Amino acid sequence: MSSLITKLGKKAYQIRKEMLDMCIKAGTGHVTSSLSCIDILVSLYYGNIMRHDPKNPKWEGRDRFILSKGQASPALYTILADLGYFDKKDLEGFAQKGGRFGVHLQYDVPGVEITAGSLGHGLGVAAGIALGAKMNRDLYLTFVLLGDGECYEGSVWETAMFASHNRLNNLIAIVDRNYLCVTDFTENLIRLEPMEEKWLSFGWNVQRIDGHSFDELLCTLNTVRSRRSDMPLMIIADTFKGEGVECITNIPLWHGMAPKGKEAEICRIDLERRYNYE
Amino acid sequence: MSNLSQRDAFWNRIYELAKEDKNIIIVSADMGAPALDRIRTDLASQFINVGIAEQNAITIAAGLSMTGKKVFVYAIAPFITLRCLEQIRVEGAMMKMPITVVGVGAGFGYEDSGPTHHLTEDIAVMRSMPDVVIHSTSDNVMASAFADMSCKMKVTNYVRLDRLVFPDIYGKDSDFSSGLSVLKEGKDAFILSTGSMTHSALEAAERLKKKNIDIGVVDVYTLPINAPLLLKAIKGVKKLVTLEEHFLPGGFGSAVCEVLADNGLLIPVKRLGLPIEKGYCYQYGGREIIRGFYGVDAEGIDKQITAFLK
Repeated sequence: MSSLITKLGKKAYQIRKEMLDMCIKAGTGHVTSSLSCIDILVSLYYGNIMRHDPKNPKWEGRDRFILSKGQASPALYTILADLGYFDKKDLEGFAQKGGRFGVHLQYDVPGVEITAGSLGHGLGVAAGIALGAKMNRDLYLTFVLLGDGECYEGSVWETAMFASHNRLNNLIAIVDRNYLCVTDFTENLIRLEPMEEKWLSFGWNVQRIDGHSFDELLCTLNTVRSRRSDMPLMIIADTFKGEGVECITNIPLWHGMAPKGKEAEICRIDLERRYNYE
Repeated sequence: MSNLSQRDAFWNRIYELAKEDKNIIIVSADMGAPALDRIRTDLASQFINVGIAEQNAITIAAGLSMTGKKVFVYAIAPFITLRCLEQIRVEGAMMKMPITVVGVGAGFGYEDSGPTHHLTEDIAVMRSMPDVVIHSTSDNVMASAFADMSCKMKVTNYVRLDRLVFPDIYGKDSDFSSGLSVLKEGKDAFILSTGSMTHSALEAAERLKKKNIDIGVVDVYTLPINAPLLLKAIKGVKKLVTLEEHFLPGGFGSAVCEVLADNGLLIPVKRLGLPIEKGYCYQYGGREIIRGFYGVDAEGIDKQITAFLK
């Protein structure tokens, strides 16, 4: 386990670096929203959690991954390129003329399931897939990653009721709980806490973990396939918006953009200092 | 089939199809109807009630569609189009998801329910999105055929059904694949109509005949409009009337005018429908009274067409 955790740490650094470079080059992209969920995504894709095949993106037996917080597409695109779903060169054209994909998630990119960017949609699509899998007697799991600010959308709670009522225990939701929206911290905007109680009262199993601890992420995710429960699982992963790059971490209004000029260089230095792998 | 509503004709056919095809799934936002109740009881595993939650209905439908299901999402028409419009836009149109959105209550079908339940903007809204096809139903034969056609759609499909009972216009086994039908030829002009207003158009043509006005009727039931066929149907016509139970901006009449303008056919057109200046209607006592409020009851249609053709 410890060697896997070391490996994931290195991978998380690599993905952060490549994602940051990609967004700096493009001059756009939700960098901080991507940084907050990279450890979660790295656990899913490199921690032997999700079943998937980069050589066969439409493999019927694959676990479905729905990135509901579509603004974190830079994180997912970087990972999918690293895994070989498409050529890494495509990252260079991110959000630029002739580029294959842009700031928000696009369903026609290999390895991507849905178009996302408008919030409050992904959980419903994931629940529909989970229900369809049960109807078809398919054993794959459906994972969905939501932003915490997304939980203001009423449609999230329409699906929350639906998923527990229909006992979709093949649905694994994760909230990237970075506590920040666009202009302010969530608890200043409209309180989201207590999150566990909210999801519990909607009939879900709930676990709350440190979303930057590979130890906690793997401990939780390692058992999702063998859970003894007929309810969907919500993992509330506490994170920091901007994690890994201290100068843009946990700062309101640092949203929906990429660092430029001197700030970009400071970001790169911060990332090196934090990981110090090279 | 004329003793049924379009709703029942449509769901009766879906019942037959779903019995043979387990991949047909109905997602209902807590709607009831005799034909639907039959699906719920006889084909329980193919019937999903999401409760009164239209946004969730569309996203669940999209997810089910991604697992190979042929999904029909059903609710009262203004709610399953406008309440969850963005879900239709993203999960439907943007991903070319072959789901069928079925709305009941086109126009003033919910005649006693007031404007929340009237469907008076959906054509404008739904036709503004790419990869969404509108099927605007005018009789039960068509409703039943649309059930079959919906199973084969490759993009998002919207079927608007009337709630009230109308006589059949079309013969059994009619073909609706062309998107429009010339129901009556005319020398002086043509009425192009959609949905229940096609019945009004046919009646108006009969009445106007007595005033020596020879006016034809074209029923347009698929949008985007089959432009080449429409242009062929109205070739040589000097004046056109469009008729819809829908607000005029962006509606069916607008769609017709776009076809004419884009093809350089500059003939006088009178759009009959709901003038937006009149606002929403809080009158009761039947559909004809509400239509009268907007000047498109039988008398109003005759008056306006006669004045236009003078």
